[in-house]
Amino acid sequence: MAKVLMKGNEAIAVAALKGGVDAFFGYPITPQNEIPEYLSKHLLAAGKVFVQAESEVAAINMVYGAAGAGARVMTSSSSPGIALKQEGISYIAGAELPCVIVSVMRGGPGLGGIQPSQADYYQATRGGGNGDYQLIVYAPETIQETIDIMKESFDIADYYRNPVLVLVDGLIGQMMETVDFEKPVKKRFIPAKDYATTGTANHPGRNIVNSLFLDPVELEQHNLQLQKKYQQIKNNETKYEMINMENPEYVIVAYGTMSRICRSAIESLKEEGIEVGMIRPISLWPYPKAAFNEIPSGVKGILCAEMSMGQMLDDVMISDKGRHEIGFYGRVGGMVPEPEEIVDAIKNFKDKVVK
Amino acid sequence: MMKRLLFLTGYYGSGKTEIALNLAIKEKVDYVVDLDVINPYFRSRESEELLKTNNIDVISSDKEHSKFTDLPYISGRVFLPFQKEDVRAIYDLGGNDLGAKLLRQFEEYENEIDLYLVVNVFRPETQTKEEIISLIKKIQVSSGRDVTGLINNSNLLKETTIQYVYEGELILKEVSNELNLPIVYTCISQRLVGEQHGFEGELLPLQIYLRKKWF
Repeated sequence: MAKVLMKGNEAIAVAALKGGVDAFFGYPITPQNEIPEYLSKHLLAAGKVFVQAESEVAAINMVYGAAGAGARVMTSSSSPGIALKQEGISYIAGAELPCVIVSVMRGGPGLGGIQPSQADYYQATRGGGNGDYQLIVYAPETIQETIDIMKESFDIADYYRNPVLVLVDGLIGQMMETVDFEKPVKKRFIPAKDYATTGTANHPGRNIVNSLFLDPVELEQHNLQLQKKYQQIKNNETKYEMINMENPEYVIVAYGTMSRICRSAIESLKEEGIEVGMIRPISLWPYPKAAFNEIPSGVKGILCAEMSMGQMLDDVMISDKGRHEIGFYGRVGGMVPEPEEIVDAIKNFKDKVVK
Repeated sequence: MMKRLLFLTGYYGSGKTEIALNLAIKEKVDYVVDLDVINPYFRSRESEELLKTNNIDVISSDKEHSKFTDLPYISGRVFLPFQKEDVRAIYDLGGNDLGAKLLRQFEEYENEIDLYLVVNVFRPETQTKEEIISLIKKIQVSSGRDVTGLINNSNLLKETTIQYVYEGELILKEVSNELNLPIVYTCISQRLVGEQHGFEGELLPLQIYLRKKWF
């Protein structure tokens, strides 16, 4: 296929098919409904599995089951729906099973609204499930990048036997862009799924999929094993982009839609003779802490910009280790800032500093 | 010349709403009727202020917060342009046969209407003559009305060149010949206006209203 014009949600669905998804389980919610709508038609046409479950809780547990049986499996939802899936997500991470979860964020808390938001950073990176688990979280800024990350995410999930969460906001879900589905992505060697519950033909005895370890010695051992894996993910799968970092006066940190607004602001500031750089985290977990060591000397401050009240701000502070003054600018509730607001925030940086 | 009442239909994301806004302002119609019960964002009701300054009334949902919900609810006022015979209106339907279904409620009215199909051949599922004709048939069954014209809106946003518009026209001409439907408008970006060379139908340079410049 040559270049086509695609809506973000449709593109996520097509990229899932390109990534080899075998089964989708989900429950409708705005603003991500085009994902299940598209897959309901095309997965069945390809002889694969699509189930509209009776609830988000059911859907994530179907994902758990199908992943245990060795399938490439995914679900998608939006903020309150992802909240409902947290228990299942912790179980899947605990049982070390792969899956891809797409979260198309809308305004919260509670039912909130259906307009775009980035207020689920904590939900994605800190999680609402129990225990010492981590999701691998990617937050693309364009539809092309979303496609590339979707395709790669199925491999990353299989490779580490861990859920991957692709985090976008409603605007990326609903907007349209020119994309190329055939753009190559990194390939990984995926070992055979000898843990899957597919019968006893290929190994002696039964496989059991489980997150229950009643013996504390065993459970601690299991946790240490998970930590070893998370360290490996930190070493290998951290993604970020540095923009205009030669000699900036200020540095912005922003991801997803917000980073696109900030790119536009950086252009305007450049025209006025103010150089501003940007660290754009693409993986939110693992967070690109090392990027902050590359900030050139002479930078007057870091502005964290989010469509939330300041959630990634924690990771910016942890990563900067007190080296700079840190400011914050955020809009919420479905309000999407204009680039001019970021320009003003940089010009009035002193007023934005977090006390 | 468009009829008193024009309905815009087409594949999801083919550009119906931007075209509805542009045509409404160009043709100085009295009403834009937003019948989109498919999309949660980017609907003509979001441009109420712009249309008001052009003396165009927007009819969509009269429920509170209808700009920020995707409830499948529309106002009873959508019948008004059918009943007031001295007004002109553009109706902006939701995508595909599903969105076109809303035309059924006007069955009892005899008024002649235009139903134009907006096509961007760079959207999936409307890339060939066969796919476009199949969509037209589905829309006609679902809406109970005949498609009366085609609008070529073939583009790849910022990457569009005149060549892409021609590629769209070649495919739409095949549809036009087979179904005996005119290509009524060819849409091009304002930035390509100087370059055009004799497209089918009237040239409609598009001002983009719903897309932010940083997209």
